[in-house]
Amino acid sequence: MEIVVCIKPVPEAETRLRVAPGGATLDAEGVKFVLAGYDESALEQALLLKEALAGSKVHAISFGPAPRTEEVLRAAVALGADLATWVESPSGSAVDPIQVARALAGAIAAIPHDLVLCGKQAGDDEAGLVPSALGELLALPDFGSVVDLRWDPVTARFKFLRSTDAGGERWEAATPCVIGLQQAWNDPRTAKLPNILKSRKAAIAKHPAGPDLPGARSEPQGFELPAPRTGARLIEYKSPQEAAQTLVRILREEAKVFP
Amino acid sequence: MADFSLSAEQESLRDLARKFARTEMAPHAAECDRTPRFPEEIYRKAFDLGLMNLNVPVDYGGSGLGVFEACLIVEELAHACGGMTTSVIANCLALEPILLGGTPEQKDRFLKPFCAEYNLASFCLTEPSGGSDAGSLKTRARREGDHYILDGEKCFITNAPHASLYTVFATIDPALKTKGITAFVVPRSAVGLSTGKDEEKMGHRASSTSTVRFEGVSVPVADRLGEEGAGFSMAMRTLDQTRTPIGALATGIAQAALDHAAAYSLKRQSFGKPISEHQAIQIKLANMAQSVHAARLLTWHAAWTIDRGAKGTLESSIAKCFASDAALHVADEAIQTFGGYGYMKEYPVEKLLRDAKLTQIYEGANEIQRTVIARELLRQYA
Amino acid sequence: MTGPILIVGEVQNGHLSGPTLEAISVARSLGGSPSSLVGFVAGHDSRSTALEFGRFGVSHVWVARDPTLDSAPIAALALYIAAAATKAGAETILVGGTTLGRDLMGRLAIRWNAAVATGVTEVRRDGAALQVRRPIFGGRATETRRLDGAHVALALRPHAFPAPLDAPVDPVIEDLPSVPLPAAWLAPRRTGTETSAEGAGPSLGDASIVVSGGRGVRTAENFQLVEELAAALGAAVGASRAVTDAGWRPSSYQVGQTGRSVSPQLYLAVGISGAIQHLVGMLSSRVIVAINSDASAPIFRVADYGIVGDLFQIVPALTAEVRRVRAL
Repeated sequence: MEIVVCIKPVPEAETRLRVAPGGATLDAEGVKFVLAGYDESALEQALLLKEALAGSKVHAISFGPAPRTEEVLRAAVALGADLATWVESPSGSAVDPIQVARALAGAIAAIPHDLVLCGKQAGDDEAGLVPSALGELLALPDFGSVVDLRWDPVTARFKFLRSTDAGGERWEAATPCVIGLQQAWNDPRTAKLPNILKSRKAAIAKHPAGPDLPGARSEPQGFELPAPRTGARLIEYKSPQEAAQTLVRILREEAKVFP
Repeated sequence: MADFSLSAEQESLRDLARKFARTEMAPHAAECDRTPRFPEEIYRKAFDLGLMNLNVPVDYGGSGLGVFEACLIVEELAHACGGMTTSVIANCLALEPILLGGTPEQKDRFLKPFCAEYNLASFCLTEPSGGSDAGSLKTRARREGDHYILDGEKCFITNAPHASLYTVFATIDPALKTKGITAFVVPRSAVGLSTGKDEEKMGHRASSTSTVRFEGVSVPVADRLGEEGAGFSMAMRTLDQTRTPIGALATGIAQAALDHAAAYSLKRQSFGKPISEHQAIQIKLANMAQSVHAARLLTWHAAWTIDRGAKGTLESSIAKCFASDAALHVADEAIQTFGGYGYMKEYPVEKLLRDAKLTQIYEGANEIQRTVIARELLRQYA
Repeated sequence: MTGPILIVGEVQNGHLSGPTLEAISVARSLGGSPSSLVGFVAGHDSRSTALEFGRFGVSHVWVARDPTLDSAPIAALALYIAAAATKAGAETILVGGTTLGRDLMGRLAIRWNAAVATGVTEVRRDGAALQVRRPIFGGRATETRRLDGAHVALALRPHAFPAPLDAPVDPVIEDLPSVPLPAAWLAPRRTGTETSAEGAGPSLGDASIVVSGGRGVRTAENFQLVEELAAALGAAVGASRAVTDAGWRPSSYQVGQTGRSVSPQLYLAVGISGAIQHLVGMLSSRVIVAINSDASAPIFRVADYGIVGDLFQIVPALTAEVRRVRAL
């Protein structure tokens, strides 16, 4: 099975966010970029499928600027991806997730793909637009918020649970399709040191992003950080009962969140 | 041209070590220290990820890293737990004599099967009657035909109770002093080899330390490293290679102490404000930061010197000595920053002081380091 | 951009869902007169829900009765929605803060050539365009985006908007002509649905109150304390990764970086220290309450209210107090 995994470099969770000059975006200066959390699960899922299905290949693909994009691709190779394609971001300008999906779709269309796996969203912009846009662009069915993805060799179909607000939906789908993974019920592996060293020498294919298409688009105008939290108002009490009564009273009368 | 930036490869190695340290080691550090417990499952994972036999070339199944990369990794590991780090890197020390003095046949025979699986090795130099005075060791090796018979006792041997391989330094004739010292590779299975009880230590309690006794242990001549009498220089060259990572280990402990102290100072209130706003604490933190920074740069410089092919005795001695003193000082100041809480075992900083102390003692006590530094220094003026 | 606004109706228990009502609120706040508010609902038996749109001032409702939609992938639904938008001459499509809303946006962006945004918490007109605000980085920042183009589609963030007041109109209800669906899209089969764990209480995604337990709960059995409090509050139950890693509760409970992101009105963190990986999954909650024995736990830095104390004493007392108050 030819498995394409779309991955994105995002600032590591511990990053102290700062506003870039101009005020519209994150200041990426000095920020350490890592593989996005859901994408890491998606890659792990791809590797598990590859290990279960002899002859499979995992092709990691990422859109973005140097050096962070190349770095997450090398990280994917160190984890076990067989091939890596870097869709070069045309400029440093902030991009619309739909433009990203168009660029990725252009690259994916040119390579074999029985399954296109993505994280359901990235931890930075939290847009979650790429999986369904890829589905439309590649004319494939797509499924977002998927957990528990399995391949059934007997029916030659994927079986999975799509997490919804009301619970979940069980699905079966044949290849090719696009899956946005919410949580692989897996524990993403850690790359081994020798594989990290090997990944430094791996070939990364480059694919041009194509022109930025005119038309509908979204453009960032502001990036704001919340006022620093002052810390919790601690409830003083002499007994657990008093603590409970005080909290319930505050939630009802002040915060007004009690049903 | 000096360049202090890390390459992408070096960064990714450091990231690996940091992730392992944070997710696998740190959560168990307090428990392994308190119990104490030798967390073999963690060491196995370290091996699986390639974090164990760092200095062994890839051809023999190791990671084939230079000293600089090893230092980056060791600092990150030690940030989580000094004791576990000592056990993880003990193989580097124990296998270095084979790398330095072994024939290609010996390297093939000893290193390949050893590195193919999780195995621990111990470096057996120190004896009950002396560590720093390595030239006067008492363990004897008597030649009998195509074998040597080893008799004697080694002490403070890291990982000894769990090791499957020992590199042993013994003398063929005490009268020859350093020129009689000879190195051997001895498997755990050798008849007459036994290890003592696990020592109860002040720090590095996740590591295991014991005596190793040799009672008529027969070692084939084929398992001798180098010529008779070549052992002393092999041991010293080994320590030249491994001293710098001890500087990195100490730096990791010092950085952890600074991190704890700075974070605590921001949330601990006194006189109506966080103690970080008191100048007394600010000066403390500033001094700690200077020590940590200097320790790291000295370590990096020594590692860089050695990786360029120089012996680096002066540089590595300075790095090890300074960083270990810094670790003790910074851990001490971290406890002071925490006040009474710092003295309590419930908080993480008192362990750092206990762990830091060993870095001044092992792999060449700081007194010896200073002797070496002075000797190298005065040579330039003579 | 003042043309008609299409609101995609989702049905829950036979009624328009809470998130759909929030979408109607937003449509009305954008200055839409009843004549410019258009509803969409799918399903072969959707007349009653179509009528419900009228209660909140939506004057025209398009109904997609194609029975294949009941079990088809979202791609098929997106086709019908785009068809309805075209019929209605809509310039804007609004969907509630649900999984569906998010999954529709990428499709509509391409199929309907729309500028799109998800997880929107504020919308206002900006000349010919729409300006939206949305929390990003797990609620650690908020971005403002300008959506330019002839078409805009938005998926909202749950609980970010009020329910609309009644403004009854008698809606025109029209069936959409059937749209040919590519065979490939109909091949995948929905083989079943599952409701949230034990079927009790709301799910994490749409609950207005979430009670989560962490490492401080200590054992799988003790986790019941968290569930009892949640039951008393009518809340969904969440957990930190420590709990799911330990196997005390399944991974589906996990709130955080690699689990669910939630943004309820009230988030109660019980025995959770507040690692950043957890915080990014719940920081955008409106009110955060922490109960933890360690006063220095990071959770207290992000919480609005805190109780420092033994959760094994505080939580049962709190459950009892909630039951008492709700029984009044």
